[in-house]
Amino acid sequence: MNRNLLHSDPHIAARQRWMCVLARAGNGLAAYESALKETEYSLIRAPEIGMTLVRGRMGGTGSPFNLGEMSVTRCVVRLTDGRTGYSYVAGRDKQHAELAALADAHLQGVEQPHWLSRLIEPLAAAQQHQQAAKAAETATTQVEFFTLVRGED
Amino acid sequence: MNAANSSQWLQPAFNNPVLDAQASFRTALKALSEPGLLQPMDRALALGNLQPATYALCLAFLDGDTPLWLAPCFDTPAIRANLSFHCGCPIVAERELALFALLDEAGAADLSAFDNGSERYPDQSCTLLVQLDALSGGEPLRWRGPGIKDVRSVELPLAPVFWQQRQARSAFPRGLDAFFAAGEQVIGLPRSTRVLLNAEEAA
Repeated sequence: MNRNLLHSDPHIAARQRWMCVLARAGNGLAAYESALKETEYSLIRAPEIGMTLVRGRMGGTGSPFNLGEMSVTRCVVRLTDGRTGYSYVAGRDKQHAELAALADAHLQGVEQPHWLSRLIEPLAAAQQHQQAAKAAETATTQVEFFTLVRGED
Repeated sequence: MNAANSSQWLQPAFNNPVLDAQASFRTALKALSEPGLLQPMDRALALGNLQPATYALCLAFLDGDTPLWLAPCFDTPAIRANLSFHCGCPIVAERELALFALLDEAGAADLSAFDNGSERYPDQSCTLLVQLDALSGGEPLRWRGPGIKDVRSVELPLAPVFWQQRQARSAFPRGLDAFFAAGEQVIGLPRSTRVLLNAEEAA
């Protein structure tokens, strides 16, 4: 994740980081389902699928344009002690959204270090590994052009 | 931040957001098309002092394009947080800006400054959502107009000042539409309904 996008408040930045990992976790969260659902919780907003407009800027600085729409699933849960967890994840996986919201709720409590080390760190490491592997695979297809003699010299 | 503070008040809304909102909206249309008839509105649970029918009306009607004005007794953190979260509606302090107003019996005694639409856009008037303790037991009044064959007698427990104010704000096609809710029931009162206040009007 781009460090410039993180909030200046360290608490918010930490939450941004774990929400970012949770949103990318996909079905990696399924392994933690029983642990996440150990405590009782209620669905404030049951997982629901919707559309969102993705906008971009050419070269990062041009004027904004509408890239297209993508499907997004969102969910809000509340644990019995009143903590609420939110999630917005790309795609149509309702289970992923519910588990990500649950994880967000757990991560805001006193057991935060436990969940960080047990859930977020392994997922983040796996995602980083996956990204590096993909980058390495892509790098093998790179073609470098160079000229030995340039005309103006 | 604001969201973090208000999230403790959040409660679930409709069980099935799409179907329940559609069914409640349909019931509200039916209530307006047959003024004075009781309609069941039982898809939501109570929220604080908002009764199920009132909350269902809010959930069915309100969204990001509908500024809402709250009577003081409904202006609680729980109601604000849940309406903002589930409906996304802006809550306004100025009556003139509101497209919907959530009133109790005391609030219904003062309809001043609610927008009753313009000649060109009468549909942009403010719709009143009035929560009462009951929908009967008041003085029987005769209603007449579209959707009513001859005359219908309705006994809403409302002070006479409401009917005077409604009359004063009514200049068809401009006017105020209202829903009266209690428990899990609702009655509609569109601006086209004439409420006969005394005997000579019946003639």
